Amino acid sequence: MQATQTSERTELGVTVNDVWRHFGTVPALSGVTLSAPPGQVTALVGPNGAGKTTLLLILATLLTPDRGDVRVAGLDPRRDADGVRSHMGWMPDAFGVYDQLTVREYLGFFGDAYRLKRGDLAGRVDELLMLIHLTEYGYQPVHVLSRGQKQRLALARALIHRPQVLLLDEPASGLDPRSRVELRDILRGLAAEGAAVLVSSHILTELEEIADRVVFVAGGRTVGEHTMANLTREARTAYRVRATDSAALAAALAERGVAATANGNGGHGAGVELPPMSEEEAADLLAALVGAGVRVVAFEPLGSQLESIYLTMTEERR
Amino acid sequence: MTLGTPRGVGLVTRQEFRIRLRTGRWRWLLGAWVLVLAAFTMLLDLSLDTGYGIDRNTAQRGVPLFGILMFFVLFMVLVISPALTSQVINGDRERGTLATLQVTRLRPLEIALGKLVAGWGVGLVALALTLPFAGWAMASGGITIGRVAAVYGVVAVLIGVVCAVSQALSALLARSITSALLSYLVVAALTVGTLIAFALITPLVTSPRTTPNPDGSTYTYDEVRPDLTWWLIAPNPFVVLADSAPRVPPRVTAFGDEVYVQDYDPLSSIGRAVRDLRRPRDYVYTSENERELGPAVWPYGLAFNVLLGVGAVWVTALRLRTPARRIPRGVRIA
Repeated sequence: MQATQTSERTELGVTVNDVWRHFGTVPALSGVTLSAPPGQVTALVGPNGAGKTTLLLILATLLTPDRGDVRVAGLDPRRDADGVRSHMGWMPDAFGVYDQLTVREYLGFFGDAYRLKRGDLAGRVDELLMLIHLTEYGYQPVHVLSRGQKQRLALARALIHRPQVLLLDEPASGLDPRSRVELRDILRGLAAEGAAVLVSSHILTELEEIADRVVFVAGGRTVGEHTMANLTREARTAYRVRATDSAALAAALAERGVAATANGNGGHGAGVELPPMSEEEAADLLAALVGAGVRVVAFEPLGSQLESIYLTMTEERR
Repeated sequence: MTLGTPRGVGLVTRQEFRIRLRTGRWRWLLGAWVLVLAAFTMLLDLSLDTGYGIDRNTAQRGVPLFGILMFFVLFMVLVISPALTSQVINGDRERGTLATLQVTRLRPLEIALGKLVAGWGVGLVALALTLPFAGWAMASGGITIGRVAAVYGVVAVLIGVVCAVSQALSALLARSITSALLSYLVVAALTVGTLIAFALITPLVTSPRTTPNPDGSTYTYDEVRPDLTWWLIAPNPFVVLADSAPRVPPRVTAFGDEVYVQDYDPLSSIGRAVRDLRRPRDYVYTSENERELGPAVWPYGLAFNVLLGVGAVWVTALRLRTPARRIPRGVRIA
């Protein structure tokens, strides 16, 4: 019986249906609807003040919504906060660590607080230290860690009780490129094991590589919920193209009516910028240029698709 | 939904203790604490000789020594106790370590009690360090171990009450500076405030009393009624301490026909003074009942303080309960 309940919960991930929340007279959430299915990484994207952190606080059982329905691992945080907590890991955007403890003591304390079995705890701490590459810091006090290392420690803390739902608020801020790649691998690994991962971030290129799905929020409401596969297909991005002979390139582009602009600082090697187009259109254009004998050496999307969608979205908002 | 387990409380207490132990300069602070008490006890001992004429041959010399020492100890622990817990909740909020604790499976009451026990524990360590000086008083004669135990027990409870109230304030207020300040104001209200309130309100509570004059006419005047206002000073920690201390039999010295009843005990004299307030209005003094007192005051005072402490723990736990519906101004959840 217990086993079936658990597996049912694993199926459920996170669902949020028309959730509202205000602080005083300031509305923070005005009807957010989204889902974060298990086995996938869902990105939560939106400008500052869009309500991302408020939403994550509600999912993390710290805040009640004014109205609307929330399910985390199939449970209602208002009814069964303790149940949600035993299945949910949360990493806030700003957090403190107990500087005076050693890394092992820190994780050990939270293992106890999540009621891990004594015999299980030491092994779990070893496992996590390995995962976040802090094994050699196990007996060091937390205050010797760098910001990025503390960030990784906080991730390990959120994972200590093997949660089925993982909520991360800006986890990549303060991480160096290598740690970001590792974070990506950790999150992908957790999703592969069946966890529902919900990540908010501003680093959009990063999310593009991590996420299976993306939810856009703005002004406290959901403005779009897409799979990354669909987004990449439909997104229109600007491209940069460069050829050995820039005059020939310009002529070929003019012939096809493409309004190219000289790239930013206009250096010789910089090439030209093309207006936004879909992947299909871009592929057609590249084929045509090559077919016309233009010796193209670079043809690349500018920025990320996620970023251009995000910018369009926030543009509309103004 | 259970309120909590001793295991959860113990976990939080150990964690708090570990952090406190590794942050403060405990050795220096406790060293200074012992030095201040040693200096006080020594000076008191000397001044009893010369200033008060209680020389080393006086029997029960330990009685005044112990009484005055315990007032000083109570004063000192009342000064340090608010500092022990008045920043534990909002300080954790400011450091961003509270929310990560709240999302674990620890219950609000476990967090509240665990932190309180840690702060209280530090206060008890400070109190325990004063025991050698109480021992000094015992060695000077007249003090039984039972009396020491009773008085220390009351001080220990009062430390817990002040810690609990300070902690509740730190849970209620966003800024740790404000909660620290208010904690000291609460201690001031209990110690000085109760005295002021009693002194100012008692003269206002009067009832007319009619007494016969020698010529047969009667004379009516307004009589103050401390038996109706005594409860105003009952919560005072010094009153609780003094009145709850087991009485020491007064020293009786006879010079021929004259019998002197001397009482050097500051605890008993305050205790007697407050019990006098409770004597019924129509009490008539006779030579037999001269030493009979009104009923005890301390059970009320102690009960008030304990209820205050329990209420404070309850308030703290309520404020730690999540998911939170209302967020007080200026409080960041995480």
